[in-house]
Amino acid sequence: MNIEKRILFGMMALAAVVPLVVQDQYVLHIAIMVFFFAVLASSLNLVVGYVGEFSLGHTAFLGTGAYTAAILSTQFGWPLWATIPAAGVLAALVGVVIGGLTLRLQGPFFVIVTLSFAEVMRLIADNWIGLTNGPMGIAGVPQPAFLKEAGNLAAKQFYYGIAWVLLALTLYLSYRFVNSNAGRAAVAVRENRYVAQSIGIRPLTYTMLALVLGALLSGMAGGFYAHYISFVGPEVYRFAFMASMIIMVLIGGKGTLVGPLIGALLVTFLEEYLREAKELRLSIFGLAVIAIVLFLPRGLMGFVTQRREKSGLAAPTSTTPNPTSSRRTA
Amino acid sequence: MELFLQYLANGLVTGTFYALSALGLTLILGLMRVVNFAHGELYMLGGVMGWWATTRLGLDFFSGLVLVAVVMGAFGWLVDRFLIERIRDQGEEPGILLTIGLSIFLANTALLVVGTAPLKVEAPLSAAPLILGPVVVTKLRIFAVALSAVLIVAAWLVIQKTRLGRAMRATFQDPMAARLVGVRTANVYAATFAMGTVIASLAGMLLGSIYSAQVAIGGLVSIKAFVVVILGGMGSFAGAIAGGLLLGVVEALWGGYVATGWVDIIGFAMVILTLLCRPYGLFSKRAERA
Repeated sequence: MNIEKRILFGMMALAAVVPLVVQDQYVLHIAIMVFFFAVLASSLNLVVGYVGEFSLGHTAFLGTGAYTAAILSTQFGWPLWATIPAAGVLAALVGVVIGGLTLRLQGPFFVIVTLSFAEVMRLIADNWIGLTNGPMGIAGVPQPAFLKEAGNLAAKQFYYGIAWVLLALTLYLSYRFVNSNAGRAAVAVRENRYVAQSIGIRPLTYTMLALVLGALLSGMAGGFYAHYISFVGPEVYRFAFMASMIIMVLIGGKGTLVGPLIGALLVTFLEEYLREAKELRLSIFGLAVIAIVLFLPRGLMGFVTQRREKSGLAAPTSTTPNPTSSRRTA
Repeated sequence: MELFLQYLANGLVTGTFYALSALGLTLILGLMRVVNFAHGELYMLGGVMGWWATTRLGLDFFSGLVLVAVVMGAFGWLVDRFLIERIRDQGEEPGILLTIGLSIFLANTALLVVGTAPLKVEAPLSAAPLILGPVVVTKLRIFAVALSAVLIVAAWLVIQKTRLGRAMRATFQDPMAARLVGVRTANVYAATFAMGTVIASLAGMLLGSIYSAQVAIGGLVSIKAFVVVILGGMGSFAGAIAGGLLLGVVEALWGGYVATGWVDIIGFAMVILTLLCRPYGLFSKRAERA
C-alpha cells in the first residue's frame, strides 16, 4: 500500500534537488508550470477520482483564486504570502456554494451544471468591469519587492520554491483525505451510492468535503498563477484550462495520487515538445488524447495497477474497512 | 409595446436555430449517454463544407445541403463505429475525453485548412427585409426558420414512423432488452450518431448562410446546445424544441429590455435554476434509477 507514499516522497525529493542542479530559466519555467498543473490536476482528482462525479467547473475555483489574489494585491496591497491563502479560502467558499447547489445531481447533469457555473463566472469576470477590469484583465500583479534586485533566475527559483511547497501541501492534504475515514466514505459513495447510504454514509457530507478541499487547493494554485504570470484575465475560466486538467487526470489515472502528477508532467512536456510542430501542434494533441482514451482507458496508473492486480498484489484503492489504525500512518 | 413583438419575433427565430442546433445533441446524449463535446465542431464542419460546396464547387444551396448531409452522415457513422464503439458502456468520462480530443483535432485541423476568416455560405434568397405589421424580418430568416421546421419534422418522422426510429426508441428505453429482441444496437447507435451529426452540420450550413461559418464557433455552439438540452430534458425531442424557443425568446427579451452585455449569462442562470427545481429537465419523464 505504501508504495504510493514512497513514490510521492521520492518524486518530491527529486523535485527539491532540481533547482540546485538546473540553472536554465526555461527549464525552471516548465517545471513551475508542471507543479502548477499538478496542483490543479490533483485537486480535480479529489472530485473526479474519489467522489466519482465528473466536474467541468473546476476553473471556477482556479479563476476565483486568481482574481482574488490579483485584486487583493493590486488594490489593497496585500503581500504574496497573504493573498495566496486568501485566494484559497475564497475559492473554498465558492466551493461550498457551488457544491451545495450541484452535488445533488449526478452523471451528465452534474457535468453540465458545473460547466455552467464556470461559464457564469467567466461572464461575470468579462462584464463586471468595475471589479475585474473586464476583458482587459488585471495586469501588473505585483511581485515581492526583493525579487527586483535579485534578477530573473532568482525570481524563477523563488517561484519554483513556492510552487514546490504548494504541491507538497496539496499532496499532503490529499493523502490525509484519501486515507481517512472521510476519504474511504467518499470512495464508498463513488462505488455504490445506494449501498453507501444504506450503511449510514450521507453522500453529500463527503462529496462536499472533497469538493471544498479541491476548491481550496485550486484557489491557491490560482493565486500563485496570478503572481507568477502577473496578469489575470477572463481566460482563466476558459474551457482550455479545464480540458488540460481533465486530460492530465485521466491520462495519469484517476483515483490515484500519483496519476495526476504523471499526467501533469506528460501533458506539459507534450505541449512544449509539440511546439516544434507549430500549427499542427493542437491537431496532433487532439489525436494523442483520442489515442490515449482508446488504448489506455484507465490511465497510466490504471495500467500499472491492473498489471499488479493480475500478478496477485492488492490494489491500492482496496476498500478494506480499517477505520482506526491507518489514521495515524500519514 | 411594438418593440415587444419585434423582440418576440427575433427570439422565436433565434430559438428555432437553437432548437435545430441542439436536436442532434439531445439525441446523442439521451440515447447514447455520450456527452458530445465535439457537437459544435460538427456544426462548424457543416458550415465550412457548405461554404466550400456553394462557392468552390459552384453547387446551388440545396444540392450543397444534400452533399453536406451525405458526407457528414458517413463521417458520423465512421466516428461512432471506430471511436465511440470502443468506449461504450464505460460511463461518461471516456466519452467526454474522447469527444474533447475530437473537437480539439477537428477545430485546429479546420483552422489549418481554411483559416480564421468568416466564410459566407451562398444563400438561396436575398436578405431583403419583409415587413409584417410592426415586425420586420428578412426573407432569408423566414426561409431558414421554415427549413429548420422541415428538418425538425423530418427528424421526428424518422424517430416516430420508421423501423429505425422504433429501434432507436427501444434502445433508449432499455439497451439490453432491445438486444434481446433482436435489435442490432451497434447499428442503432451508429445511426443515431450519424443522424445527430447530419442535423448539426445542416444547422451549421443553414446558419452559415445567414450569419457566416467560422472555424472557432464550435465551443460556443456546444455550450448553447447543452443549455437547451438541459432546459428541455435529455433525450426529449419536444423538450429540445421548447428549450430552444424558450432560450431564444428569453435572451431576446433580456437583451432588448435589460442589458445586452449579460445576455449569455441568462442561459446558464436558467440551467442552474432548472436543475435545482426540476433536476431532470423541464420536459423529461426520466426518473432516477439505481
